[in-house]
Amino acid sequence: MSTQTTPQKTENSKPQRTRKSSKPVKPGGMSARFFGASAMSFPTWAYALFFFVIPVALVIFYSFGYKPDEFTAVATDHLSFDRYPEAMSASFVSTFFATLRISIVGTILCLIIALPFSYWLAIKVSPARRSLALALVMVPFWTNFLVRTLGWQIMLSPDGFLSKWMQGLGLLDGPLDILYTRSAVQIGVVYNYLPLMILPLFVAIDASGQKLREASYDLGAGKVTTFLRVTLPMAMPGVVSGCLLVFIPLNGDYVTATVLGGASGSMVGQLIANQFNTAQNWAVGAAMAVILILATLVVVGIGFGLLKLGQMIAAKLNSVPLTDGRA
Amino acid sequence: MSKKNTFARRTPTDIGLNIWGVLVFAYLFIPIAVIIAYSFNTGKVLANFRGFGFDAYISGVNNDIIVSSIVTSLQAAVGAALVSTLFGTLGGVALARAPKGAWWALGLTAILGLTLVTPEIVDGISFLPWFVTVGVDWGITPLNNGLVRLIIAHSMFSMAIVTFIVRARLAGIDSQLEDAAADLGATPWNRFKDITLPIAAPGILAGALMSFTVSLDNTILSSFVQQPGYTPWPVYIFSAVRVALRPEVAAMSTVMFLLTLLALAIVGFVLRKAGGSSTEIIKTMAG
Repeated sequence: MSTQTTPQKTENSKPQRTRKSSKPVKPGGMSARFFGASAMSFPTWAYALFFFVIPVALVIFYSFGYKPDEFTAVATDHLSFDRYPEAMSASFVSTFFATLRISIVGTILCLIIALPFSYWLAIKVSPARRSLALALVMVPFWTNFLVRTLGWQIMLSPDGFLSKWMQGLGLLDGPLDILYTRSAVQIGVVYNYLPLMILPLFVAIDASGQKLREASYDLGAGKVTTFLRVTLPMAMPGVVSGCLLVFIPLNGDYVTATVLGGASGSMVGQLIANQFNTAQNWAVGAAMAVILILATLVVVGIGFGLLKLGQMIAAKLNSVPLTDGRA
Repeated sequence: MSKKNTFARRTPTDIGLNIWGVLVFAYLFIPIAVIIAYSFNTGKVLANFRGFGFDAYISGVNNDIIVSSIVTSLQAAVGAALVSTLFGTLGGVALARAPKGAWWALGLTAILGLTLVTPEIVDGISFLPWFVTVGVDWGITPLNNGLVRLIIAHSMFSMAIVTFIVRARLAGIDSQLEDAAADLGATPWNRFKDITLPIAAPGILAGALMSFTVSLDNTILSSFVQQPGYTPWPVYIFSAVRVALRPEVAAMSTVMFLLTLLALAIVGFVLRKAGGSSTEIIKTMAG
């Protein structure tokens, strides 16, 4: 890498400077000992700035530009907010809300499927078998995302084996009519992101600890009470990170939708990609991307708000105050 | 102990949970099984099963475009794993050892957190003009190489994963070990090499593995940064989806699936030898 050599040179020269300047930070603490932790972070900083912050900032900047003529993708000699209303065409808005619905429903379905499963994995499966079970959960995660989706495409196709079996069993009158619909996209999306929900939930439930649950039983709590007041609150950080891990990438994904949804499965990500690849209108595409980011943040914010509200209500209802596992 | 008792005493909830567990596993594995089964399809169209045979494997291996796209993918994945592991390890160690409230640590955490929550499509459209600006307009020619572009883009994506895994790994360990080494006269480099690095090693390995698979999986970002001659495997499949899927795709995917399993088994074995239960290993992987 060409960028790699420069940061490392600086890394060697920086420690002395840091040590001098870190005087106000806790005298005698490890900070002085630690040979330039700040210098050590420099290559990572540089990489993130050069290949993430600047390019993304540039795209945000483009969203205020315009497309001057047929052969130029973007111009920024005079800036305006005009691209935003232009981006919000009727078809964009409807696709946008369809995407949001698929993502939100998908996240909720993942949570519903993963919560009992992770609970089972962390608590009910015997420790001897748990490693194997966990490894099995990881396997689809390590298989190509697109290939797994193709597996669904084969299965759901009207002349596929599933369709024939279901017709043979008399479950269906005609061929299976689900491929290239929103339901197919929903199935595929839940499938593709499920391991991302299972793993953090498992880690969190596992961390809630057998000892705490036993203490709860010893103090006379039943299974339901123990679940609601020990296991679930302790699992909350896992729920939060699982939902984030599923919702955010899902919202920008369009691969699953293209494979399983065909023409009726277009997602916002696809529209943005089209602006950059086909229409060559970077300004409008960038505006769409900014709208997508903002919407993602708003939904995540609402999610956190609901969570806090739920915790407040739970705390009010319980005579014994509950911690959320992080306190 | 008491866990065994609860397991032996099967209540209706337990039975329900067991059934649920099996169903979820089935859900997770059926599509993979379908792909493997259809890789033996001798027909011309993937979804239309004609007969059983190894034709797809033979013609897949002999298809130059397929082979070169797989090679590109593997090269990019190895490169991305190396780059993101190097930068991520430095970042993770730095963050774990940062004094409380240091601006650079908070800033780095925030930026890396942002890279994780930015939709892939946004990264894709950001890289596209940026590589043109830097590579073509500024004349930094290495950035015009398709493989370099893939590696840089994928590393940006997985650097944060490695950083956070390494930080989590080190956060649980008492930094007094390093203080003791310093008191005993170890140089900063020796402290890093003999103490910090061995402690962080399982996290680093897990991070490298994650970066490798994330890179191998990446479709959207790759489709934006790819250059002619450097089409990675998922982008090849994705373009084939829109035209016609042939059984070769399933055959080569099955081969890659088996290779991944083998690699994972080896890594799992190494981690196990290095101590630490597999539950812990996966916990490190999940961050």
